[in-house]
Amino acid sequence: MRQPGIRQRLMALLLYLLAGSTAAAGTPPGIRTLEPRPAPDFTLTDMDGNRFSLSTARGRWVMVHFWASWCRPCRREMPAIRRMSELIGTDAPRLVLVNTAEDEDTVFSFLGAVAPDLSSLLDRDGRVTEAWQPRGLPATWLVDPQGYLRYQALGGRPWDQPRYLDFLRRLGD
Amino acid sequence: MERTKMPNDGPGHRLLGTLGALMVTLAAPHGQSMAAAPAVPVEVELVPRSPEQMSAFYEARGFPPAMVARLARECFITVRIRNTGREVVWLDLAQWRFSADDRPLRRYRRDYWKKKWEEMNIPLASQSTFRWTLLPETLDYQPGEVEGGNVILERTSAPISLEANFDTGPDRKGTPIRLHFDQLRCAGEAP
Repeated sequence: MRQPGIRQRLMALLLYLLAGSTAAAGTPPGIRTLEPRPAPDFTLTDMDGNRFSLSTARGRWVMVHFWASWCRPCRREMPAIRRMSELIGTDAPRLVLVNTAEDEDTVFSFLGAVAPDLSSLLDRDGRVTEAWQPRGLPATWLVDPQGYLRYQALGGRPWDQPRYLDFLRRLGD
Repeated sequence: MERTKMPNDGPGHRLLGTLGALMVTLAAPHGQSMAAAPAVPVEVELVPRSPEQMSAFYEARGFPPAMVARLARECFITVRIRNTGREVVWLDLAQWRFSADDRPLRRYRRDYWKKKWEEMNIPLASQSTFRWTLLPETLDYQPGEVEGGNVILERTSAPISLEANFDTGPDRKGTPIRLHFDQLRCAGEAP
């Protein structure tokens, strides 16, 4: 009568371990897996006047992040993005910040205070942001090396936390 | 259906509506009244904003004076919605009914403002920022998701009631949520 009990316990342990490894390989909280679809391309300039087109980033994962300095969750999230960019290393997706419809001075003074090492593209009239149809601001997507939208973050996320860093590092695997 | 009431205590007041069998009203600082029920699928927080607050916000964003003046005539309520359940909760503002003095109260939709700003030749950047400050007309709130924004109502001095209805479930066929708010008031006075 004891043998099946041991078997059941071993099976339970195996299932537990399998579930754990599946969870570890899954997406962190608030990261939604999307049906892949082409990411809308855009060409914008950054605060220094450098042009960037999303299509030129093919071959590498890209993290596209829309934000505005007036948006409270954006202000809360930006320090985590800054720390993420410091911690994640060379395996990271390319980070592309897109400011929505603010002027250079506003963007410069905000990022200068909160994330001086980061630069942002300027969506001056907000049209690129509209084309991406965010659920709200902030909005973050992960675009795969083929240029397809694969993940979407729901609101601001603690990107500097280990679970999120691991997830981002694994994207390239 | 549970019901929460809010005194007219100005723009700092917060009203949090939830649905559930149990509701606990908590005393909160600064005269705020909050209600919470732990096992309910959605939280709705309503914060009336005065014309002075909204004007200051939009002026700081560089909005044209004519745009700010037009907005200051209306009644702003900042809405914050959190899906606290495990199923999708569907916001569809077409299913929300604002009323005052037993009559429907006009809610200005996005298309109204789009037309208005185009007539006034408002710069696209200001139009864009303005749109992002509005509550979405529709949104499928995922479990745990929080999104918010303003609704803009015709200004009234009368108490406002709101029937806020949500569909649930991936196909919108889950148990509907019906919330009722009373004694909501526009903050401040129109200039």
